[in-house]
Amino acid sequence: MSNLRVLWHLIRADFLERVRRYGFLMTLLLAAGLGYLVSVGGIKLWIGTARGVYDSAWVGTLTAMVVNSFLSLAGFYVVKNAVERDRQTGVGQILASTPMSKPLYTLGKTASNLAVLGAMLGVLAVFAVVTQWVAAEDPSIHLWPLLSPFLLLALPVMALVAALTVLFETIPWLRGGLGNVAWFFLWTALMSIPVANEGKTPDLIGMTLVAQDMEAEVDARFGDADRGFTLGHISNEEEAQVFRWQGMNWTPELVLGRLSWFGLAVGISLIAALFFDRFDPAKGRVRVPKRKRKGKEKEETALPALPEHVTLTPLAVTAGAFRFPGVLAAELRLALKGQPWWWYAAALGLIIAGLTAPVGGVRQIVLPLAWIWPLLVWSPMGNRESRFGTGELLFSAPHPVGRQLPAVWMAGVLVAAVVGGGVAARYLIGGDFAALASWTVGALFIPSLALALGVWSGSSKLFEAVYLFLWYIGPMNRTPELDYLGATGRGQPLVWLAATALLAAAAAAGRRWQLYRD
Amino acid sequence: MKLTIEGVGKRYRGDFWGLRGFSLDLGPGVLGLLGPNGAGKSTLMRILATITRPTEGRAAWDGADIVAQPDRLRAALGYLPQDFGVYPNLNAVEFLEYMAAVKGLPARAARGRIDELLTLVNLTEARKRPLGGYSGGMRQRIGIAQALLNDPRLLIVDEPTMGLDPEERVRFRNLLSELGGERIVILSTHIVSDVEATANGIAIVDGGRLLTYAAPEDLLRQVEGRVWGWVLPSGDLPAARERWKISSTVRRADGVHARVVSEMPPPGAKPLAPSLEDAYLHVLEAHRIERKAAA
Repeated sequence: MSNLRVLWHLIRADFLERVRRYGFLMTLLLAAGLGYLVSVGGIKLWIGTARGVYDSAWVGTLTAMVVNSFLSLAGFYVVKNAVERDRQTGVGQILASTPMSKPLYTLGKTASNLAVLGAMLGVLAVFAVVTQWVAAEDPSIHLWPLLSPFLLLALPVMALVAALTVLFETIPWLRGGLGNVAWFFLWTALMSIPVANEGKTPDLIGMTLVAQDMEAEVDARFGDADRGFTLGHISNEEEAQVFRWQGMNWTPELVLGRLSWFGLAVGISLIAALFFDRFDPAKGRVRVPKRKRKGKEKEETALPALPEHVTLTPLAVTAGAFRFPGVLAAELRLALKGQPWWWYAAALGLIIAGLTAPVGGVRQIVLPLAWIWPLLVWSPMGNRESRFGTGELLFSAPHPVGRQLPAVWMAGVLVAAVVGGGVAARYLIGGDFAALASWTVGALFIPSLALALGVWSGSSKLFEAVYLFLWYIGPMNRTPELDYLGATGRGQPLVWLAATALLAAAAAAGRRWQLYRD
Repeated sequence: MKLTIEGVGKRYRGDFWGLRGFSLDLGPGVLGLLGPNGAGKSTLMRILATITRPTEGRAAWDGADIVAQPDRLRAALGYLPQDFGVYPNLNAVEFLEYMAAVKGLPARAARGRIDELLTLVNLTEARKRPLGGYSGGMRQRIGIAQALLNDPRLLIVDEPTMGLDPEERVRFRNLLSELGGERIVILSTHIVSDVEATANGIAIVDGGRLLTYAAPEDLLRQVEGRVWGWVLPSGDLPAARERWKISSTVRRADGVHARVVSEMPPPGAKPLAPSLEDAYLHVLEAHRIERKAAA
């Protein structure tokens, strides 16, 4: 069988497996949601105070820029399980026993990721037509101006995301939650560095490319001026200067430049093959403690023989009674198990910093840092059972919703309270009870969000992506509306408290649904 | 101590019934639940373990409906699912401590119990190793240990000997027999010898329905005078399989020694003492013939 045929079937099987899952529908809905936001004017593109007529060129480019700005972040989390799924299902070991090469496998996974992201692009392309129709500024649809931004601006970005996802999945320490966090910061860098350097560094998302073309048109029309490029929610529509943009002038150099990102994606896929362990279980991440005794290694599985007849002593106490502290302690230990010493050292450092740093810094820097540090402790909440397959064991124990779930939540709250404890003490000593109230709401909100998203998604990725985004836009960028921990001093704790209650209820409802979903 | 199952059925998506009209009253003892793959055994196990709800019918533990009051049963339940996972970073002791807490066992009682169970399942020496490094059989033994943590009055084990080596399998069967003296044990398997060694009641399930429920000796009586030993040339075996229900074959110098379950003996065959496997195959065959005739 030729390599191309192997590649084709690898892509096909992987793609079919994904599109037949419930999650794929959610993926398309996410794309449709983005498309809807654009079509109703929730996301706009302005050059200074000017915007283009909503014709095919403008709408196509606007939607492609939305894809590159938002879907490039979310798309990673959407497709990042192609290799892991093969690992979990055991299909990987079967594939590993075939003649299929490692580069072929990683290339196939990249292509399959790209197919999924491409399907999302397809949905958005349909919405681009809807957007043009809803805006009703130019009814004629021109295919090339409408679709070329998808093909030349968005698709290369998706290809790179698809390849980077495979690379992250093949590098052991980037495979889990740490990789999800690392991607967020890498994405932030990919987005901001070319803009900050005004196009002097390679611009993956093509923002400077588009901005320069549009600015030239705006300058020619309304006079030379220093104009910013804004993509997002813009409400002052009546102030807009409207112009007709002819679309990107796709010169061969530009096209080649954009297509070169596909080459990079292939290169990254091949690099991923170097790290790919071919599902060798001996290369797993579970650490087996080193033996203290030197000398010959003892055979691990050679266990002593026991008598044929065995008996079990009856238990003197009754099981099943409500012992919340015991369950809480067990959940806390499970949550913190496996954290290295430096994690605790950094947590201690954050507690001390909360007690000693200047007040402004405590609120704006120490607390946000303290409440991003346990991200990977919170993210398995509510999904640990589905991830490790312990659901049937736990859900057949008494009161799985009324006891175990609150214990998981309380363990998350305790982690927040302890790591952010220095800051709370500081607020208390300073008599800043408003800040303390915000802190309390934040400590309750984060585990509630983790638990609800974990239970409903069955994965830690959704919380990692949503929380990172919220943390970055809210406390770190001082957006009062999204400040759930009081970093700006202008947050709305009551709103976040209500959200906390809703999320906790959603988590309980989700767990009940999990129990009896058949 | 009584488990009552009345007309229990489970319908899955696509109007597929995994179980239909299942009724049984159980008291202390070991019930062996036998059936081919996809017969509905695991569906019944999951319903009885309160993991899934029945679409129709009712099951009750000591008179309490297990859907309306699942926690009454859960407090008395030890459950070993067919497929289960463990937390790979925890070692055996930590995992069992966690499960003991979730089951509501006091910490002090749990400690002693865990030591005893680890000895019982032969994992004392591996107690401090992360579960992620365990073999399939060792993981299965941890599953058995967690099912016995709370000294369950109802023990449900789904394919429990899967992955165990022959020695461990014999020990586990003996343990089940002993436990069955004072509690209800439901053992689901498709390995007839596991049931033969432990069960004092056998339920045979196929196509989601209970075909028969009887004591092992009654099942054997059903097939008495219908089991034959037949020696035939190996070349004739494919044709013989077409015509006769052959439960096992052994190749010898004089040809293939086949064990045939049939009303009438094949030519030259001699009667044999029936085994439980013969009885099981006989019940399945009779049911399938009935179904064909009805269709």
